Amino acid sequence: MPIITADNLVKEFRLPKRYGGPLGGLRTLFTPAYTVKRAVDGVSFTVDEGELVGYLGPNGAGKSTTIKMLTGILVPTSGMLEVAGLVPWERREENALRIGVVFGQRSQLWWDLPLIDSLRLVGKLYRVPAERYRRNLDRFTELLGLGAFLQTPVRQLSLGQRMRGDLAAAMLYEPPLLYLDEPTVGLDVLAKERMRSFIAEVNREHGTTIILTTHDLADVEKLCRRIIFIDQGKVLYDGPVQRLKEQFAPWRELVVQLVPDGGELPPDELFDLPGVEVARREGAKVWLRFDPKLIPAPRLIAQVTARCPVSDLAIVEPELAGVVRGIYAEREAALTP
Amino acid sequence: MTRTWSNAPAYAEVVRIGIRSMLAYRTRFFFSALQIIVQIYVLRVVFTSVYAGQGSVDGITLRTTVVYLTLANLQGFFSSSFLDYFIRSRVREGKIASELARPVGFLGQMLALQIGSTLAMLPLLVVAFPLAWLVGGMSGPASAGYGALYAVSLALAYVIIVLLGLIMGISAFWTLETTGIAMIYSLVAQFFAGALVPLWFFPGPLRVVANLLPFQAMGFVPVSIYLGLPDGGNPLAALGLQCFWVVALYLFARWFWGRAHHRVVIQGG
Repeated sequence: MPIITADNLVKEFRLPKRYGGPLGGLRTLFTPAYTVKRAVDGVSFTVDEGELVGYLGPNGAGKSTTIKMLTGILVPTSGMLEVAGLVPWERREENALRIGVVFGQRSQLWWDLPLIDSLRLVGKLYRVPAERYRRNLDRFTELLGLGAFLQTPVRQLSLGQRMRGDLAAAMLYEPPLLYLDEPTVGLDVLAKERMRSFIAEVNREHGTTIILTTHDLADVEKLCRRIIFIDQGKVLYDGPVQRLKEQFAPWRELVVQLVPDGGELPPDELFDLPGVEVARREGAKVWLRFDPKLIPAPRLIAQVTARCPVSDLAIVEPELAGVVRGIYAEREAALTP
Repeated sequence: MTRTWSNAPAYAEVVRIGIRSMLAYRTRFFFSALQIIVQIYVLRVVFTSVYAGQGSVDGITLRTTVVYLTLANLQGFFSSSFLDYFIRSRVREGKIASELARPVGFLGQMLALQIGSTLAMLPLLVVAFPLAWLVGGMSGPASAGYGALYAVSLALAYVIIVLLGLIMGISAFWTLETTGIAMIYSLVAQFFAGALVPLWFFPGPLRVVANLLPFQAMGFVPVSIYLGLPDGGNPLAALGLQCFWVVALYLFARWFWGRAHHRVVIQGG
């Protein structure tokens, strides 16, 4: 049973044509010329209850715009959207009670006030009964380690602390749906890890449906079974993480540690085999990219070991980051005439 | 209606947040109070020299004018709205998304915040009032009746000030980067509210313009009622005019917000 159904969503922004020059600002204000930008261009997907979906795409792909339509903040130009049986922008306030939102770049916390004030406000705004509020506050304080800075004004918190505060604020009323817009942006490795384990726990323990947009592909690999990849407002891929790799990166890599033969390292040409190319080389270490359909791994290993002495071998699956980089590069190439 | 009441604890908490965040800025706020005291002093000096020893100008005594200016500025400061500034900066930074994503109406949240910030300012009256009295001048209302009417008129003026602040703030959804317009607006509003020169000294055509604008209802109307309408007029007609502006601005704000909500652009992707 899908909890979110998006059907052919389109969102266009009308941007006033900007003029340069000394009176450019004034001219912009009085000239009714617009350029239309299609931020979201016919996006369709469904999300089932309890899913944890990665919503991926380069900058300006339309991720945040989609999230804003899901929250009811933005009204789409056309298309249909249903979240738990409601059209978000038509019943925005009712919809708001069922969703938690974290915008990684924009805190919902009150800048000048202690964190606890913002949490208390959230408790009241979302009509959490006093008893449940206390229970949840205690739990999230422990889970996210908020204890040390509950009384600290938000402006004095580190980014990691602030993000934890924002997550607690979004979860305090236990919404069945959670939208996380770049929740790990700018965090250090430890803080990211902590954030991820919290997200995984919330999804597992509460069955909270989560949509996560991110640029950090490690987030996706560790958390999501499914990803929706969008680019220029269109869905490029929707499915399991694994299949994205197969579809866009059907190759694998064999990492070979060579043993210098009489002080000489073999040249790259040694690995000139059908379906194989040298992807990278660092002295005695060679990364061979191969297509398993053209040359199965055992045969490649046999061929390589027959040609030169080898001290170590490893087969590496493409990292998601590499795959996505490949997709971006392809797009760039297609766009440059 | 029942839904609105079930939200009462939420609004109360927003009021509390308004109080707390205003108090977080007490230093800045203390200095702006000081600025008003200085302004009152300067206005007294200027008008004293304008009167140049004459008992009255246009039938109005120097004493009345000084009390008018003192009260108008003091009242203007304590009834000021920060919503224009608040909404504008939230829109510019894209943070307005937080308020918009709440399960409580945007306008209600803004009004609750405004009430909170006004409540936070009021205790400062204990210091500001005697100081203003000292550097300017103060007297009781023209009569007990005018005093009572003043209270009503002041309440209406406050509503008008808040509604205008709200409307200016909402306009930020269209004119995202024009802080300049906000500054010009506040200057024009202050001038036509009669905070710098009482409206009774405005030359004919300018007075006509002032009468057509809502700004006089924010400052000039209540203060001149307090003083017993020294330039004539009917106090009930003055209150009626304020009521008209309350209704008109309220309807406009609702309509305007409806428009703004439909074309919300959250800055910065």
